[in-house]
Amino acid sequence: MATVQSSAVPTVRRGVEPLRAGQGTSFIWHKLHSLLGIVPIGAFLLEHLLSNFEALKGPVAYGEQVRFLNSLPLVRVLEWVFIFLPILYHGIYGVYIWLRGKSNIVYYPWAGNWMYLSQRYTGIVAFAYIIQHVLRQRFMGIMLPEHPGAAFWKVQHELANPWMVAVYVIAMICVCWHFAYGVWLFAAKWGITPGEVARRRFAYVCAVLGVLLAAMGIASIWAFTGPKYQNAPADVRLSTLVAPAHSGAAFHSIGSQLMI
Amino acid sequence: MATRTVTFEIKRQAGPDAPAVWESFELEWRPGMNVVSAMMEIAANPVTADGKPTTPIVYDSNCLEEICGSCAMKINGRARMACSALVDNLEQPIRVEPLTKFPLVRDLQVDRSVLFENLMRVKAWVPVDGTYDLGSGPRVYPQEQEANYPLSNCISCTCCMEVCPQFNEATDFVGAATIAQVKLFNNHPTGKVFKEDRLRALAGDGGIQECGYAQNCVEACPKQIPLTNAISDVGRDVLTQKVKDWLRG
Repeated sequence: MATVQSSAVPTVRRGVEPLRAGQGTSFIWHKLHSLLGIVPIGAFLLEHLLSNFEALKGPVAYGEQVRFLNSLPLVRVLEWVFIFLPILYHGIYGVYIWLRGKSNIVYYPWAGNWMYLSQRYTGIVAFAYIIQHVLRQRFMGIMLPEHPGAAFWKVQHELANPWMVAVYVIAMICVCWHFAYGVWLFAAKWGITPGEVARRRFAYVCAVLGVLLAAMGIASIWAFTGPKYQNAPADVRLSTLVAPAHSGAAFHSIGSQLMI
Repeated sequence: MATRTVTFEIKRQAGPDAPAVWESFELEWRPGMNVVSAMMEIAANPVTADGKPTTPIVYDSNCLEEICGSCAMKINGRARMACSALVDNLEQPIRVEPLTKFPLVRDLQVDRSVLFENLMRVKAWVPVDGTYDLGSGPRVYPQEQEANYPLSNCISCTCCMEVCPQFNEATDFVGAATIAQVKLFNNHPTGKVFKEDRLRALAGDGGIQECGYAQNCVEACPKQIPLTNAISDVGRDVLTQKVKDWLRG
């Protein structure tokens, strides 16, 4: 009888469980997620946006940059260990964190609460964008590691679709927003900015960083879609005498002249 | 002159598994009345706005001066202390509901024992019990007192936990109040004997890492406790402790 009765009241909430003091491993997984967002993912984002900025100098400069990156030692290992795997972990664990949180912005429409929500939405947009971006630009179509000269053409071809331009611009803003607020959150949660004034000041720093990065990114998109480099050739000729990345720039420029 | 009245809508629930119903009450306005005093009046004359007799409302309250922490409830959608919720400052009808994150007992009364269990699990006390006189404690300088006093103001009302998006049954997050008390007792010259234990406890599942830094806690805290500062400071200490433990093997 008693068992029948107790199974008839499953609607009663158990409530939030007390802290499992010192038990479990979620601490390390959360901290790893947090750290990966700064290094290597954040560091890679800065590199990527700076490299993209070369596009403003035209197809040759952009191709040279792509070739330089692909000439790094163990580049395929670097790519997986410092870019793909960290982003995959950060994205999947981030979704897991999102699913376990319960936003209450309707009742408490405060600034920090909005930012909490924005970090989740910008994160999912960024993750979805990055997946298609890596698939289409890295693993589909002409292979840039082998044909760096085609880099400008490949991106320009992708951005020929105005919908894709919209996707890139929106994703650029989301990524930079997510990164800038992520840096702020990192400083707050890891105890770097424990004071209210410090957090406010650092918020300005992060806001400037985010706006600057997004502006740089959108300027790079403009390099591909704007009038200056319309109909870039499918494979620009890069200098054939390639200097190793660590040797002097002088040798490299001689090489370019020889080619002419 | 027509008497001024105030309207309340109160969420009632006879027990944990009973259905919830809303009841309206119309009371005569009095100067300085607050939500608790209004419910005292309802208890004196438990009749709804449409003249139907009902039962007095069950709720927790004690000091009526925002110092005991027992009368936290949702008033017009926001978690706050009912005693300091002055009717004159509230939009009408005043909607009163129980806190949503804690097991309901009846009407506006909820079981908030999870906070007390959490405080025990982080050893939020100064260990001075013994079989002999331990003598006077170490001196606490005024500068330290000044830093710690705001943290000691916690009244265990659980508002910070109720408003936290991370405090729920999926994360089983410990909540800001307990983290702030860890900072308080770790700063205490005698209390710091348990410092490492407290920090290790907070690295457990449901610990400080679950904080999403939405900062609702510090907005909602009726005692203006610097909760986000505490989370930042304790977060660094917990991480440092874990790294030390790891390197020392």
